[in-house]
Amino acid sequence: MNTTPHRLLAGAVAITAAFVTAACSAGDEPGPGNELTVMAPLFGTAPDPGGEMQQAVEKLAGKKLKITWVPNAEYGDKTNVTLASDRIPDLMVIQDQKSPSFVKAAEAGAFWDLTDKLDKYPNLKPRNEQTRLNSSTNGRNFGVYRVRPLLRSAVLLRKDWLDRLGLDLPKTTDDLYEVARAFTEKDPDGNGKKDTYGLIIPKWPTPVFNASSPYNAVDVWFGAPNGFGMRDGRLVPEFDTPEFFAANRYLKKMIDEGLVNPDYATLDTGKWNDPFVQGKGGIIIDVNVRATQLYGLLREKYPDDYTGMLAMTGNLSRPDGQKFSLPFLGYNGIIAISKQHIRTEEQLDDTLRALDRLASEDGAILLTNGIEGRNFKVEDGYAVLINEDDPAVKTINNDVDWGFIQLGTTASVGVGGDAYERKPASEAERDNLRLRKELEELDLRTAVHDPTLPYVSPTLTAKGATLHPIVSDARIKYLAGEITEGQLKDEIKRWYDSGGGQVVAEFQEMVTRGGS
Amino acid sequence: MATDLAPPPVTASPAPARGKRLSPRTALLRYRWLYLMLVPGLAYFAIFKYLPMRGLTIAFQDFVPFLGYGGSEWVGVKHFEELFTGPDFGRLLGNTLILAVLTVFFAFPAPIVVALLLNELRLNVLKRTIQSLIYIPHFLSWTIVASLTYLLFSVDYGVIANWIHGIVGGAKVDYVAQADWFRPIIVMQTLWKSTGWGTIIYLAALAGVNPVLYEAARIDGAGRWRQFWHVTLPAIRPTIVVMAILTSGHLLDSSFEQIWLMTNSLNRSVADVFDTFVYYIGITQGGYSYATAVGLFKGVAGVLLIFGCNWLAKRLGQRGLF
Repeated sequence: MNTTPHRLLAGAVAITAAFVTAACSAGDEPGPGNELTVMAPLFGTAPDPGGEMQQAVEKLAGKKLKITWVPNAEYGDKTNVTLASDRIPDLMVIQDQKSPSFVKAAEAGAFWDLTDKLDKYPNLKPRNEQTRLNSSTNGRNFGVYRVRPLLRSAVLLRKDWLDRLGLDLPKTTDDLYEVARAFTEKDPDGNGKKDTYGLIIPKWPTPVFNASSPYNAVDVWFGAPNGFGMRDGRLVPEFDTPEFFAANRYLKKMIDEGLVNPDYATLDTGKWNDPFVQGKGGIIIDVNVRATQLYGLLREKYPDDYTGMLAMTGNLSRPDGQKFSLPFLGYNGIIAISKQHIRTEEQLDDTLRALDRLASEDGAILLTNGIEGRNFKVEDGYAVLINEDDPAVKTINNDVDWGFIQLGTTASVGVGGDAYERKPASEAERDNLRLRKELEELDLRTAVHDPTLPYVSPTLTAKGATLHPIVSDARIKYLAGEITEGQLKDEIKRWYDSGGGQVVAEFQEMVTRGGS
Repeated sequence: MATDLAPPPVTASPAPARGKRLSPRTALLRYRWLYLMLVPGLAYFAIFKYLPMRGLTIAFQDFVPFLGYGGSEWVGVKHFEELFTGPDFGRLLGNTLILAVLTVFFAFPAPIVVALLLNELRLNVLKRTIQSLIYIPHFLSWTIVASLTYLLFSVDYGVIANWIHGIVGGAKVDYVAQADWFRPIIVMQTLWKSTGWGTIIYLAALAGVNPVLYEAARIDGAGRWRQFWHVTLPAIRPTIVVMAILTSGHLLDSSFEQIWLMTNSLNRSVADVFDTFVYYIGITQGGYSYATAVGLFKGVAGVLLIFGCNWLAKRLGQRGLF
C-alpha cells in the first residue's frame, strides 16, 4: 500500500480539524464543569491524552483531564511563568511551595487554603503530622502533599572494594574516613595503580545552603542543626555552630588528602554515578533510591558480577558515638487547586473528591503501577511487568513511569504501602529494598528536624538571591583551601549583616509562636 | 507600480525644482510604496520592542502577578534604592564591566585581524576553507561549548589540563573552578565561538575596496605594508566605527548562558553579572519587580553608552551612527 499525497493531505486536514475542535471545545467551557486542567512534571515522552492510561485515570477520578506535561528540568521556571500569567491550571503540581512566587500568589488568593478541608477526605487526610507541617506555608496547607519517605539519606559504597580490602561497612564518620583512605591508597580495584579515590561529591546545583547535599548530611552527622535549630532557646542556623566547623574540618581533611574527587566543585550532578560505576570513586552520600540507579548501571556494565558490587548503610554516628540523622521533607511538592475556575466551595469539594479517589489504594496502584492484568501482575507482594512486548502495553508503562505517577499524592512505594514495589531482578536488589525500610525506621529515631520548614521568612524571600550563596560558597572556598576558618567565620558574619540576622529573628518569632 | 518610484518627469511639474523640499503630504503620496514597505519594520519594533515596555511599570511596584498591573502596590523607586545601596551592586557592576572591557579588548579586534589576514591570502581555496571552518563554532550552543570546556579543562579528566600539567608540572590547576581563571576562560570561549562569524562583515567591507586604489598605490611605489596602512585600513574604518558604536550598547549585556554554565561556588564572586542576577532573582526567586528594576537600569545605561560613543566618534572626526 502506498501513501498518496492525497491521503497525506486528507490526514493533515483531519488532524488540523481535530486540533481546532479540541482547542475550541476547551475554550468554550469557562467553568470547571467536568473537566480539570492540570500541570504536572514529565520525565520522558508525554503520555497520549487519549491513551489507555489517561482513560483509566479519568474513569477513576470521574473527570476529564486536560494535562499540560512540562519537562522536569524546566518545571521550576515554567511554574513561575505560569504563576505570572492569567492562565493558572485548576490542579497544579507545585514542586516548591515555599518559592517566593508561589507564596505571593497563594497569599494573594490564587489558590485554595485546604488546611481545614483535608481531614474530611479519608485518603487526603495527612497521614503524618510532621510532613503536614513541613509541607505547609506558614502553617496553612495550600495543597495536598505528594508523600515520600521521611528519611532517605544513605551512604552507598562499592561492596567489591570493601570485600577486597577486608573492610566493614562504616558505622561512624571515623570509619568512613578510614574507608575513603583505603579506597584511595590501597588500590581497591587491584590494578596496581593508584587511580582511585574515596568519596564522590558533585557540584550542588543550588546555592541554597540547606539543600540535602552531602555537605548537609555530614553537618548533621556531626550534630549541627538541619538548616536551623534551637540552641538554648535561641534559633541558630546550621553553620553558626561548633559542630558545623567540626564537620568541615573533617571534610577538608579528606579533600586535602585526596580522598575526594578533585573536581568536587564542578562535577555535574547528572554525572554523579559515573565515577562510581567506572571504578574511579567508591562512596556516594545521597538518597537510598540512588541504589536502584546504581544497580541498573552496574548491571549494564558488569552483568555477571553486579549483585556483589553495591553496599548501603544509613546515617553515620559522629566520633563520640552519638548519632544524628538527616531527614528529608516527607513529601515531594504539593498539588495545589487554583481559584481561577474553581470558584465555589461546592466546586472545590467536587475537585477534592476527584483527588481523594486518585489517592485511594486503587488510585495509588493505578498511578504507580498501571493497570493490573494489563501491564503488571502481583507476585509475592511485588508488581511484575507482563506483556512487555506489546506496543500498547509499552505505552502504558511509559505513561505511568514518566508521567502519571506525578499526579499521585500517595503514589510512592515504601510509604503507606498502597502501591506495589516493582519486583527487582536479583535477590541483592530485593535485600536492598528491605534494607531501605529498616534503615528508614532506625534513622527516623535520631532524625534532626528543621523547625523552620513550615515557615516563610519575608526577608529571605526578598534577599535570598544575595543571602543564599554567601555561606554555601564560603564553605566550598574553605574546603578548597582558598579561605581560612577565620575568613569562613567572617563570611558567616557577613551573612548575618546582609539580612541573615533578620531572617533568624523572623523564623525565631514564627517558630516560637507556632509552638514547636 | 514601478513608475511610482521613478523620479517625476521634469515636464510634468517644473515648479518643485531639484533640491527644494517636498511638503510632507506630497512626499507621503509620491513615495507611498516605499513608506508601505517600511510598515512591517515599524510594526515589528512597535509590537515586540515598544509595547512590552508597558511591563517596565512593575519596576515601580511590588508586583504580584495574581493582582496584575492594576492591583499591585506602587512603591516608587524602592527597588532602585535597594539595588544601588545593596551589597551586590558594586560587585555586579564591577564584574559586568570587567568582563565587557575584556571582551571588547580581545573579542572586538579579533575578527578585524583575522579578516585582514584572510584578505592577504592569495590561494582562494585555502581562504574559503579557513573561512568555512572558523564559522562552525558560531552554530554550536553555549551548552556544548561549556561541556567541551569541562571535558578539556577539568582537573580530573581534562585532556588539555593534563597536557599542560605534563609540560609545566607543579600542582594541578583547576581551570574551570578557580576564580582567577574564570575571565580568561570566558574570553577564550568567546574568541573561539564568535571570531570567525565576526569576520563576515569585515570581509564584505574589504571586498568593496576598489582595486584601482591598490594599483595606484603600487605605481606610487607602496609596498604591501603601505598599501595596508593607506588603502585597506581607511577603507574599512567606517565599518569598524559603526561596529564599535553598536557594541557599546551591549556593553552591559553579558552572555547569560555562557556565564551561567561556567559558574560555581568557587568563582561566583567574579562570575555574578547583571544578567545572571536578574535571572536568579526574577525567574527562580519570583522577584519580578526587583529584576525588572535591574533590567531597566541596564537598559538606560546601555542607551547612555551608545550616545556617549557616538558623540566620541564624531569628536574624533569619524562619521557616527546618527
